[in-house]
Amino acid sequence: MNLAKVQTLSKTSKPKPQTRRIPVWSWFWFILGALYFILPLYATLQFSLQMKRDQITLLAYQKAFEDPQFIKTFTYSNILALATIVAGIVLFVPTAYWIRLRLPEARRLTEFITFLPFVVPAIILVFGMIRIYSTPVKIPFTDIELFQPLTTTHFGTNILIVAGYMVLAMPYMYRSVDIGMRTVDVRTLTEAAQSLGANWFTIITRVILPNIRASLLSGALLTFAIVVGEVTLASFLGVNAFGPYLFLLGQHLAYQPAALSFVTFLLTWMAMGLIQLFTGGQGQATGAH
Amino acid sequence: MTQTTLSTPKKITPISFDWKKWLGVIPFFLFAILFLILPSMRLFVGSFTNNEGSFTFANVLQLFQQKNILDAYWLSIRISAVTAIGGGIFGFLLAYAVTIGGLPLPLRSALITFSGVASNFAGVPLAFAFVATLGRTGIITAILKNVFHINIYQAGFNLYSFIGLCLTYMYFQFPLMVLIMAPALDGLKREWREAAENLGATSIQYWTQVAMPILLPSILGAMILLFGNAFGAYATAYALTGGSLPIVTIQIGAQIRGDVLHNPGLGYAMAMGMVFIMAISLAGYSWLQRVSERWLR
Amino acid sequence: MAYLTLSHISKQFAETYAVEDFNLDIDKGEFVSFLGPSGCGKTTTLRMVAGFEIPTSGRITLDGADITNKAPNQRHVGMVFQSYALFPNMTVSQNIGFGLRVRKASEAEIKERVKEMVSLVNLEKHADKYPFQLSGGQQQRVSLARALAIRPNVLLLDEPLSALDAKIRVSLRAEIRSIQRRLGITAIFVTHDQEEALSISDRIVVMYDGNVEQVGTPFDIYNFPRTPFVANFVGSLNTANAEVTDTEKGLLNMDGVQLVSAAKMDGLKKGDKVRIAIRPERFSFASEGKKANVLDCQIENITFLGSVVRVHILVGKTKFTMDTFNYPSLALPQIGDMVQVTCSKEAVLILGEATS
Repeated sequence: MNLAKVQTLSKTSKPKPQTRRIPVWSWFWFILGALYFILPLYATLQFSLQMKRDQITLLAYQKAFEDPQFIKTFTYSNILALATIVAGIVLFVPTAYWIRLRLPEARRLTEFITFLPFVVPAIILVFGMIRIYSTPVKIPFTDIELFQPLTTTHFGTNILIVAGYMVLAMPYMYRSVDIGMRTVDVRTLTEAAQSLGANWFTIITRVILPNIRASLLSGALLTFAIVVGEVTLASFLGVNAFGPYLFLLGQHLAYQPAALSFVTFLLTWMAMGLIQLFTGGQGQATGAH
Repeated sequence: MTQTTLSTPKKITPISFDWKKWLGVIPFFLFAILFLILPSMRLFVGSFTNNEGSFTFANVLQLFQQKNILDAYWLSIRISAVTAIGGGIFGFLLAYAVTIGGLPLPLRSALITFSGVASNFAGVPLAFAFVATLGRTGIITAILKNVFHINIYQAGFNLYSFIGLCLTYMYFQFPLMVLIMAPALDGLKREWREAAENLGATSIQYWTQVAMPILLPSILGAMILLFGNAFGAYATAYALTGGSLPIVTIQIGAQIRGDVLHNPGLGYAMAMGMVFIMAISLAGYSWLQRVSERWLR
Repeated sequence: MAYLTLSHISKQFAETYAVEDFNLDIDKGEFVSFLGPSGCGKTTTLRMVAGFEIPTSGRITLDGADITNKAPNQRHVGMVFQSYALFPNMTVSQNIGFGLRVRKASEAEIKERVKEMVSLVNLEKHADKYPFQLSGGQQQRVSLARALAIRPNVLLLDEPLSALDAKIRVSLRAEIRSIQRRLGITAIFVTHDQEEALSISDRIVVMYDGNVEQVGTPFDIYNFPRTPFVANFVGSLNTANAEVTDTEKGLLNMDGVQLVSAAKMDGLKKGDKVRIAIRPERFSFASEGKKANVLDCQIENITFLGSVVRVHILVGKTKFTMDTFNYPSLALPQIGDMVQVTCSKEAVLILGEATS
């Protein structure tokens, strides 16, 4: 490149001013996105406040919360969520720990399994579960019945639905716990604790669990968000949960469903916000159901 | 959890691997088998079983022959593709706006948090929200009618249709795209842009020759994931359309309640067909994710 | 006239000056290093030459043309980044050819130039590999080739070796220097490693806190540091407080020990407290020959460092380090022995006012 070319370039090139340029397009997309997200929520809120004509009132909320069915199903869904969370922790944490410490060979298989729920969405899962567990569980190749069909008893159905929810939550919960363990390097922590004389129980309760608190919390919150609003598993298994209740409500009434939908949104927001708080990172998405 | 050191002398077994190690993961595998693998296997085996109980390919073949089944798959594919591409593009633009696009940092946190919320907000509440927005007495419908004098329902729009379902699905598709693309866009190193500029490239040349090719695996992978996500959705569609839109998940739902196809094996085959599509979608996403991680690390 | 001139360059960020009144003339073909600790402004100055930052005030002139406000893609300077910044979606050849491709050079021209550059950095066998398949050192060589492919007016290197292993660092810096010499290209090399700067530069600009401390050849910078910072930063140094006793004869009193220094004492008078410095390698045992300063000291510790033996001595109440070359017949004293060490008067530097 010779001097002449350099000089002609300096004449024709317009220097980009380093002052703050307003990113017009960025604002445009953002505002568009904000509108798209906020409008439906606003619409729901507004609708829910319109129970009395020409008045803004919380009557819809009041009526919704007073409904004994609401109390029953909402409580029940919360209990299910809690059960799923506890069962999940009891199952996934020791497994992830064991694999990290003792059995790295199982890692690929386990990761594959935690991916499976993406391939087997709720509707398919419930299809298979119903077909299998609506017939008595027999010892293979015999006629000896072990249990009555799980789907026919309350207890059995509860087991099925909690298990189903665990399957739905597994990718997030297991993954969250696993990453948390990797971040704090449980292997080294365990060895340090052992060299200081701790037994297994102490190690798990005093060393491991406290250090993966953030992962446990975010997994728990996500599970809560999934379970409380879940409809597919609940309705096909005949469980009296909040999801089916809300759906049924929508068939008969207008304002109360809107109110409850808005409340669901607030609950989800709270759960996600708490997750952000604890993990300080990217949000977690479960995708559609 | 027990220690592996025993007080009894070790038995010398011909198999050289320590099976006791696998004890610890038995509960997990048992759980997976009972509640994930067995149900899936039941469907898988069932799709190859005919009404008499013997093995057959007929069900699978019928998938490709029966018109209403093909239509269902085609409809599901169309909805998934539209929301994957539309959601992908818009989600990408949003993610771009808050990362490289130069918007203030608080807006980014807000968008990420909200995306986390919105992508979990599917199902019945979402359907209701859209009814309140674009239903016959919805707020936007009202604004368009009273302020702009456009009656969308008269013009043929219907929330409880293909286009309505797509619009509703977008509500959780955009955020999912944002959540995947924001970290990927972060991974676009500033030095690449500077190196390109230093070597004489204009903005357009940088984007077409460097940035877009680097981002392409992430974008494609994310869109494929979005596709699978939409394909497997049931609750939102059912709550919104009540089953009037015969997508695959709705058909399967009907089949579960009562054997509407009059052939259980066919029902299982439909379910398997869906699993197959989801599996391909997941595999595609995984592979592209690995490629993009290699570049954006 | 100098090839590249930076004149009164300043860069202000919010309240602070990252670079303040930077002046430098660089001749064509010269290899200049900017040396200093992190935050001294060396990278900011380099980026202003590259065009990624615009100076708050001052001018940059390249080959007669004012490039102060020019866009980075118009300046025709080649930059090598610390993190290599190779485009991961392109092979080695494609990376190297990128600059030519955006200038719409012909395919034949690109191919030939790429081939030339690939052999210049000895990566013929890796020409079709992707960056993730290469080691750090290899990636940096590709980065160098990519910058040189466009025949830039100036080559800018931003701490190119900091991310590499020690051994690679040494061999690569020699390679960079030899390529630069061969091509006769003007180069600016930013580093915080004084050994790097000393070993390959024609001139060094030592920077601290946004200001230029000293500009000179490596020899000058090392042997004649003009500010306390330069003396401390470049090479190792013994420092102590002393009182001026005689400005004519250059005598100082360091806590009861008399020293004679050849340093200029203009502006100093008897009784002034100053900070003196002596390089460890300027000491030698008096038994091998006496110089102007002969000091009684006690051996505190001896550390064997391979080719160098480091002797920690106590001179009066002051602790010094003395470096002497190792050889087989070296008769080292024992710890605790009293010996005499000596150094010339030129070895005693005066850095400035005494510190507490």
